[in-house]
Amino acid sequence: MVLERDPALEVVDMPINMGPQHPSTHGVFRMVLVVNGEKIVDLVPHIGYMHRGGEKLMEAMDFRQGIGYCDRTEYLAQFSAELAYCLAVERLMDLQVPERAEYIRVILTEMNRLSSHFMFAGAFGVDAGVFATSFTYAFPQREFLQEVFEEVSGDRLMYAYFRVGGLAWEVPDNFVQRVHEVLVHSAQGLKDIDDLLTKNEIFMARCQNIGNFSADQAIAYGLSGPMLRASGVPWDLRKDEPYSVYDRFNFEIPVGNYGDVYDRYLVRMEEMRQSISIIEQALEQLPPDGPIVPEKMPRRLRTPPGEVYAKVEAPRGEWGVYLVSKGGDKPYRLKMRSPSFCNLSALRDMTIGQYLADAVMILGSMDIVLCDVDR
Amino acid sequence: MTLPEGQEPDATSDPGATPEAAAPAPEVAAETPAKPAAERPVRPAKEAEPKEAPRVAPPAGSINETLAAAAPGVVFNAYMVPEMKGECVTVEVSRDDLTAVMTAARDDERLDLKYLRCLSGVDWQDEGLEVVYHLWSFTKKHSLQVKTRVTYDDANVPSIATIYPAADWHERETRDMFGINFEGHWNLVPLLLPEDMTDHFPLRKDNPLQEIEEWQGENLRDGAGEGDE
Repeated sequence: MVLERDPALEVVDMPINMGPQHPSTHGVFRMVLVVNGEKIVDLVPHIGYMHRGGEKLMEAMDFRQGIGYCDRTEYLAQFSAELAYCLAVERLMDLQVPERAEYIRVILTEMNRLSSHFMFAGAFGVDAGVFATSFTYAFPQREFLQEVFEEVSGDRLMYAYFRVGGLAWEVPDNFVQRVHEVLVHSAQGLKDIDDLLTKNEIFMARCQNIGNFSADQAIAYGLSGPMLRASGVPWDLRKDEPYSVYDRFNFEIPVGNYGDVYDRYLVRMEEMRQSISIIEQALEQLPPDGPIVPEKMPRRLRTPPGEVYAKVEAPRGEWGVYLVSKGGDKPYRLKMRSPSFCNLSALRDMTIGQYLADAVMILGSMDIVLCDVDR
Repeated sequence: MTLPEGQEPDATSDPGATPEAAAPAPEVAAETPAKPAAERPVRPAKEAEPKEAPRVAPPAGSINETLAAAAPGVVFNAYMVPEMKGECVTVEVSRDDLTAVMTAARDDERLDLKYLRCLSGVDWQDEGLEVVYHLWSFTKKHSLQVKTRVTYDDANVPSIATIYPAADWHERETRDMFGINFEGHWNLVPLLLPEDMTDHFPLRKDNPLQEIEEWQGENLRDGAGEGDE
């Protein structure tokens, strides 16, 4: 009897479910990957588990109450979300924010960017297989920053410190000194993570040349923030459409060359250095005293009828608020254009053709916040 | 309210206090014994608030003239809302012309609006459903806001997901929330809502927020956003 060998194995497409309990799907995100061997041929993201109807809720809240909801939507960059909302209402009401309030807003928003990017660096290292080391480097730094936020706003996560027209109350007396202290920690923490990851050969091999997106693709898919800049588009709302007092600072916009996962990491690391520089400049220019709300602040926040699209450069990209008012003290319609939602919509086309193991890295490089995706 | 110690809202304080502090003042004032009428500050007669946002024609040489040249034969209504601080020209197009306008906006070199920033639905109740597109050009540094309006009974808008891939998820979300059918979309299944929730559109105004309504003692159905004193 002659034994015959089977012909070559037939390779069929196989669907694999990933998440929501997978450690690197970041929150309650689930995706179904269709793989052929190790290559991804299709990807179906499933989102919406955290949808709470925030936009509908905000239609029933007046303009003060809505601020609290911004925190709950973008829980890693709360100040950016609050700022976009406040800018929208201020522009409709034609309010002039006092200078001191503007500077404190910038300082806190940039510190928030630091804490958010620290969170990214920690989680991204874990995705890349550094185990928990990057987390143990990044999390203390985030904690230092959060301590300042807590001292300022009284809350660790849901700050609700910005108000339409200015700030809720004055910062503590030792605010400037505390920020200086924390910046020293942040710079050191940044160097630690840099030493651990940036030139690490395994990390580089893991990140380079996966999830490439060209500049044209990034624009067509509506990417924003570090995702867009990594693809080579030098676009930063702080520089190109300045809001608040960002036109008074000197800072650079880091831009990537290849648009791959490694570039996204590098862009965020450089952004953190630039943020530290912005905060230092803002602390120098901060008026020592002065009002933090406009002198003629109306008792009730009522807007004239109108519409406005306000946008800020949040750590994840363009956070836009499209506010339609019919007059009165509530928004008629409020759409939150969240950067995570828009960036994640490109995941399918970014991942098809890549290896299964790289899907984790590509998702990690997007730095999504699921509350922000689902709203 | 989360005011710290020593910053309790004071009913007699000037209106320049924080908005948190200022808000409850009218109720507190109502409970205190009424002052003689002569001493009372006379509240100025309330001006009738305009119901519609003021609209002005865009200045000459604005982007709408370029659009008219780039998309010949398309009839649109161009205006600016002063609250937008002059940064954005709005054009209202009919849905039949939407594809032509969007293709021209993306491909015409004079417009070069390659970036779809945002896509929103708005429910104008008696005046139908509206879709708002925010476009931006990285090269020309100008923006354009395109609006199109449909009725409840015929809520069909052509999909622009093939022109702007960024619109893919935005259109699915708008379908979830407003029930606008984007014709020609390759995959118009619920995105944020459960898969079987295809006949209930939460962001339409005929869906009142019942519980919050009761808490606030207001009826959203009779004019949302029109709060009183």
